[in-house]
Amino acid sequence: MIKYLFNYIIFPGFLFTAVIGLVASWIDRKVTARVQWRIGPPWYQPLMDLVKLSIKEITVPRSASKGLFFLSPMIGLSAITLVSTFIWLINIDPGSKGFSGDIIVIIYLLTLPAIAVILGASASGNPLASLGASREIKLVIAYELPFIISLLVPIIKSGGMLRLGDIIAYQASHGAFLSSLSGIIAFIVMIFCMQAKLGLVPFDMAEAETEIMAGTCIEYSGMLLAILKLTKTMLMVALPLFLITLFWQGFNFLSLWKYVILLVIIILMRNTNPRVRIDQAVRFFWGKMTLMAILAVILAVKGI
Amino acid sequence: MKMLLEPILFSIVAGLFILLIPKRFRKVAEFFSLITSIYLFISAIRIFFVSPINAGYLYVDGLSRFIVLAIGLFGFLVTLYSMRFMSSYKDVSLYYTYIIWTIGASILAAISNNIILLLVSWGFLGFTLYGLINISGPKAASVSKKTFIIIGGSDSLMILGFGLIWLITKSLNLSDMKIDINTPLAFWAFLLIAIGAFAKAGAMPFHTWIPETAQEAPISVTAFLPASLDKLLGIYLLARLALNVFILNSFTYAILMIVGSITIIAAVMMALVQHDFKKLLGYHAVSQVGYMVLGIGTGNPIGIAGGLFHMLNHAIYKCCLFLSAGNVEYKTKTSELDNLGGLSKIMPITFFTTLVASCAISGIPPFNGFFSKWMIYQGLIEKGKSGGVLWIICLVAAMFGSGLTLASFIKLIHAIFLGTPSKDQRTKSREARNEVSWQMWIPAVILSALCIVFGIFAYKIPLRYFIVPALNTGLSFIGTWPSLKATLFLLIGLAIGVIIYFLGNFKGVRVSESYIGGEQIQEDMRLSGTEFYNTIEEIGLLKFIYKKAESGVFDIYEQGKSIVFGIGGFFQYLHNGILPTYLVWTLLGMIGLFLFFLR
Repeated sequence: MIKYLFNYIIFPGFLFTAVIGLVASWIDRKVTARVQWRIGPPWYQPLMDLVKLSIKEITVPRSASKGLFFLSPMIGLSAITLVSTFIWLINIDPGSKGFSGDIIVIIYLLTLPAIAVILGASASGNPLASLGASREIKLVIAYELPFIISLLVPIIKSGGMLRLGDIIAYQASHGAFLSSLSGIIAFIVMIFCMQAKLGLVPFDMAEAETEIMAGTCIEYSGMLLAILKLTKTMLMVALPLFLITLFWQGFNFLSLWKYVILLVIIILMRNTNPRVRIDQAVRFFWGKMTLMAILAVILAVKGI
Repeated sequence: MKMLLEPILFSIVAGLFILLIPKRFRKVAEFFSLITSIYLFISAIRIFFVSPINAGYLYVDGLSRFIVLAIGLFGFLVTLYSMRFMSSYKDVSLYYTYIIWTIGASILAAISNNIILLLVSWGFLGFTLYGLINISGPKAASVSKKTFIIIGGSDSLMILGFGLIWLITKSLNLSDMKIDINTPLAFWAFLLIAIGAFAKAGAMPFHTWIPETAQEAPISVTAFLPASLDKLLGIYLLARLALNVFILNSFTYAILMIVGSITIIAAVMMALVQHDFKKLLGYHAVSQVGYMVLGIGTGNPIGIAGGLFHMLNHAIYKCCLFLSAGNVEYKTKTSELDNLGGLSKIMPITFFTTLVASCAISGIPPFNGFFSKWMIYQGLIEKGKSGGVLWIICLVAAMFGSGLTLASFIKLIHAIFLGTPSKDQRTKSREARNEVSWQMWIPAVILSALCIVFGIFAYKIPLRYFIVPALNTGLSFIGTWPSLKATLFLLIGLAIGVIIYFLGNFKGVRVSESYIGGEQIQEDMRLSGTEFYNTIEEIGLLKFIYKKAESGVFDIYEQGKSIVFGIGGFFQYLHNGILPTYLVWTLLGMIGLFLFFLR
């Protein structure tokens, strides 16, 4: 139990993921700054932001449902901690960690942060937050469809394996799924879904600062906002890691470059695109992305 | 044997007795029915603990005993709930009679081994359902008629199916049968009986009575029959057919899987756009049947166990949702989502039960709905190992359906409990602003506690005592979802978060007005939640399908009605009551006969 607690809180769970996430978000800000011909912040800036937020005063709107308003950021944080612990442990020791069907559990746990954000925003009783929540939930159901379909590609290619550890082992002996055509297509779809799950441009309509003033986060301040930001940051570690595990032979510390590549793709995508409207996003995911995912599944069934 | 018949006999007598109690002694009738339902619950517990009996007409095995237990539990909870909820109705003795009879007949249906006995109790349940819907008066008449026609029609198909079974086996006892489905006769028998089960449980295309019943009938009736007992019985029959009575082949399994997947997606898409929370929940009661049928359709132990477990879970959380919705309706006198909002402060207990049950139905770990869905997915992938592509489509439908369920419950919770209160709610008088009485929230709290317990201790309690004994094959898990451990860690994370929050919170909390960018919040500036999915409704193909669904194209009752009236209309056209027309017909007929005979 102590060992699990250590895993959960320090390594590779909360603290470790958070540190990597903060570094990644610094890289994100630095690269963004360079793209925009600025110098960018020093390496400790993301941490400083969190510290600053956490000593600020918290305000609660009068119309809020207080219990849920306070709890939901923490639900999101503990869910993302749990799921990143899962993914790290399985990657460190694919042979013995995990259980049959853990992919499904991870998929469900990965939606929990989004649900927590939505519930928290709805609980604030602010009309703009409600607007953000409605966009967020629409985005969730939009990207969930191609995400699930392309998730099937590794399962089909490995012959019905449902344990993440087995999928890593299968790739170790048969080569990464990314080396096949179906794998590449599914991976591309997954990258778009990841962008939407992270809520980054072009899919940041739930927070859209310029039109609904941070939408889902509008009423959050101080410590609670810090927790929400930290959740997003940790998601930026867990999601690419999950993709690498599924398609790219898993992750060990020698293959840090895989993570960096995905990070660069995320950053470039958010810097070169404008925000889309929510109906455009739904059409995009249910249209093009779903068709691509279906194509990938068909190819995977054919063994290509 | 005596023990099995006693509760059924008692329920019939008690029901008649309640009818005889004069209307003035309303309290007596209520109290007596509560006592009866407690007695029936206790007998159900006793039936659950007997060793398997096979006494000719009746039998109790692992499958039927936990169904009986669940029937007893829901009967008791709904009766307790009705004591306060039905207070606005004038005549309640008929209502309680029907409730008590329904419990008795359902127990009989679950333990009967004899086909005739099963059919009689099944038909009787259709009758009590008709009566219970009619309790809410003339506005429910057309709905109860529709329900009666769909249920009755499918019952007659079921009788036909059992007739075919009798033709094949020459036996009337379900426990003697082991029919190979590869002959056409057996296939049709299975299909016809399955239609009966589908109509009872509400799988597509026999589902249309459920949303309308949910809208018109008293909510306690919906929570009792379409949400829990009808699901239990319908899926019980389907599982009985699949496990004991027939040896199914891959084609029949494929039919079940297709019916399940279509039910999941189509019903949840309809639920997404509803504006009335009773109707929304009604559509979910349809959509969830899909998971159960899908689970049984996988045909492997883990999938069937998942389907049965989902049936139990569904009965629990859907009953809880309907009862909570009943609390809301009782308090606010409306079921329109647009007119609600911000109730979480006024009704915290109902908010909690609804939130838990919504999480459970959307399959959020660690609640019970997640566990059974997880088992069904595993069953599907297990099925996929033997080849084919159908499982892929079904898996996507099931997982995506779960996301859509989540979406429509976010809408429900936002519109009722969160968000900004509507004008109606803001102007409500002070004394209306409190929680409902304990008889109304206790059942919901019990059920939501069950949602949590069945999710966290899934292996220790429900699977071990209810589900695994029901499958005569036994069940082995390849790996296990460490539900308890994961929950513990989620809670630890939550606790750490709260601690950090209190440590870091130097300045304290300040209550302020909502901020919308410096402007004043106007009265009409609110998002109720019903408009959440308007953009989805507007998308090309979906818009077309929604329009068609509105006009009843996918409604088997409407279609059946138009066929029947079409045929009727043709004969009406011929029988126009004008004498010369009839004379012409007679003449023509005579000419025809002459031509035929005198050639």
